[in-house]
Amino acid sequence: MSSITGKSIRDGIVIISTEGYFNKDLGEALKAEADVEIKNGHKNFLINLENSKIVNSIGASILIEIIEDLQSMDGSLNFCNLAPIIAKTFKIMGLTKYCETFENEDAAIAKLA
Amino acid sequence: MLLDLSSFSKVYDKEKLPNKKIDLIVEWLEKKGFQVQFFLDNKNLLSKSKKSAFVKIESLDFSSLFSKKNLLPYSKISKHFQTNLFDGNNNSSNNLEGIIAGLKVKSLYVGAFYLWNSKLDNHDLSVTIEYFKHLVESNFRELLLKKKLRKNTSDLRDKKLEVESFIDISELLSGTSESEILFQNLLEYLVFTMNATKGVILSKEPNSGIYELKATLGIKDDLDKKIFRENKGILSILKKEKQSLLLNSSEDLPLLSFSKKNSVVGPFLNGKNLNGCIILYDKESRKGFVDFNQHDLRFFNSVVKKISLSYNNIILLDNVKKSKKLIDNIMSSISTGIVKINLMGEIEYINDSAIDIFQLNKSILIDNHYAIVFGGNPELVELIEFAESRNHILYEENLKVKKQDNNETNINLTISPVFDEGVNSGSVISFEDLSDINKVKSTFKKYVSENIVDELLLNEDSLELGGVEQEVCVLFSDIRGFTSMSESMEPSKVVTLLNSFFDKMIDVVFKYNGTLDKIIGDELMVLYGAPLKKSDDILNAVKTAKEMFTTLDKFNIRMIEEGYPKLNIGIGINYGKVICGNIGSEQQMNYTVIGDTVNLASRLCSAARPGEIIISDSVYKNLDDNQGFSINEELSLKGKKQPVKNWKFTFQLDSINTNKK
Repeated sequence: MSSITGKSIRDGIVIISTEGYFNKDLGEALKAEADVEIKNGHKNFLINLENSKIVNSIGASILIEIIEDLQSMDGSLNFCNLAPIIAKTFKIMGLTKYCETFENEDAAIAKLA
Repeated sequence: MLLDLSSFSKVYDKEKLPNKKIDLIVEWLEKKGFQVQFFLDNKNLLSKSKKSAFVKIESLDFSSLFSKKNLLPYSKISKHFQTNLFDGNNNSSNNLEGIIAGLKVKSLYVGAFYLWNSKLDNHDLSVTIEYFKHLVESNFRELLLKKKLRKNTSDLRDKKLEVESFIDISELLSGTSESEILFQNLLEYLVFTMNATKGVILSKEPNSGIYELKATLGIKDDLDKKIFRENKGILSILKKEKQSLLLNSSEDLPLLSFSKKNSVVGPFLNGKNLNGCIILYDKESRKGFVDFNQHDLRFFNSVVKKISLSYNNIILLDNVKKSKKLIDNIMSSISTGIVKINLMGEIEYINDSAIDIFQLNKSILIDNHYAIVFGGNPELVELIEFAESRNHILYEENLKVKKQDNNETNINLTISPVFDEGVNSGSVISFEDLSDINKVKSTFKKYVSENIVDELLLNEDSLELGGVEQEVCVLFSDIRGFTSMSESMEPSKVVTLLNSFFDKMIDVVFKYNGTLDKIIGDELMVLYGAPLKKSDDILNAVKTAKEMFTTLDKFNIRMIEEGYPKLNIGIGINYGKVICGNIGSEQQMNYTVIGDTVNLASRLCSAARPGEIIISDSVYKNLDDNQGFSINEELSLKGKKQPVKNWKFTFQLDSINTNKK
């Protein structure tokens, strides 16, 4: 089933990992986690989608909401380990214009930190 | 009183966003002492930051209100605007001296604009409201356009997602994935493209008629253990309707019980027959679950029809793959090497055993010509060419072939033409590697006759090598007086004499299918009926014993001429139950028999005088005739409480003297 499987902070970047179908429920769970960290003063996030193989447009629209929130405070939402279907969906949904994608966590941290 | 708009224009002109521009209008007017109110029937136009100035009005016909005049005293129509649907407050605080103007976007009324200022007279109020009305309408128009644009962009993205998914699904269907993986991928594509929360795919098992779960997503229930048939529930509906449907959540239909809103279900049809179905549950929206609509059904139906068309191919491909896997497993498990070549002589298939026999490099075999692959074996290549040219089966036994590492082995070769619907499609070459068989033969031949070896190799089931109890005939022969004889001979001559003697005797043993159990000094122990039981075991044991004497007679004549002493033997035979098996330690283990039957055979041998065969009563009883045996006086033997009944045969041959052992 869909869930948040991990949250950690590396070099000031909040890393959140997910598992399963990235739909409304998982999107909202992710937004809740992001809101907590935004209140804690963090504004750069990396979402590890290694264990999520599909995303629907509702999940993607929630990600856009998070991107909007972070953009208003000069923050950023980034992704790593994207399955081909998710990468394609993000492109179609217009997400890739507003976020960066990385091969894995290490590559993302090297660039973002 | 004329208003100085220069301060307003300065700020207003700088702002680009229409909603912010409207907020600026409200803010500036309120600052100048105006009571401002917008009554709107389009929620998209309501301001988020200036909420108090915006009122949501539903079911109010603005066009008839302002049909005659666009600008009206508020007092005339105030009753229509009493309740603020936006925040639930009463609007009765609006001054009745204010005026109200209809707001239009593209000739359609979207609401009304109320304005009042205690310092302005009616004329100035009218001029002011006219001026700002145009600004507001212009911004509303832009807001709605942007909203529409955003909606169109979103719709386009959804469409693009559907098109892309449709293309991906088409590619999946034309691919070669196994059905389980394919159905799971298809379900995932449909679930996320249609914003469903969960889904299942069921497929009919043709033999049982039960619909098996092929793919599932987001369902916690263990559907695997449930039985679904087409005589009830959704499957029954789909079988009847033969088209995709929208169905509401229903406790009565078990497959719909996972749904909170509605579901979209589609049949996989083959003509009129239902082969399977796909069900998607609960469409998501940002605000919660919504019903799948007709547009969703249309897209879903087109995908389901596409899957239906490919369904038979999917199942067929799956069956072909399963069959191929089965054939591959069979081919890999058999020890015979198999090679299939096409009419061009190219290798289409080769099994692991063929690769092992020739120690070939697996990566360069398929599509390569047999003359290249077996280039190191010209005789084999010639035989294949010959068989191809004649188009009939060719057998070649014990053909010597060279392996890749230049070691040689022997094979039995069969080349058979293959016909596909009567048309020759190449040949199948089979190789039976004889190296293992030859090894077994050479090892076994030391202990049993060639006939028995061949029979054992042909029929492995007949071989009983475990610790089993069976009836066996045991023969012991012993050279009489050999110990004292050997003391007076040179050791090398003793070895030569013994080896020559055993050579001759063992030939006789093997002639009658005996199994040489062991040689203990000058004694031979031979079995009949182990490891392979035959109907004439007892007679063969007796025949062996008799022929051992005639052979020994000839042997003695020749050896005496060479200066060796004459040998005399006595033989004992018993028949009965023994324990057969591999007996010994892990380091050394021998196939042998143990038990009282063996002990008695040995005692009978000891009791036999030179030239005598003594057989037990159990042997005698199993002979068809007496074979020249006569009853002997009962023997009191070691380990036996009762005297043992036995039968005796005595040879009268020139070379055998009758001295006692």
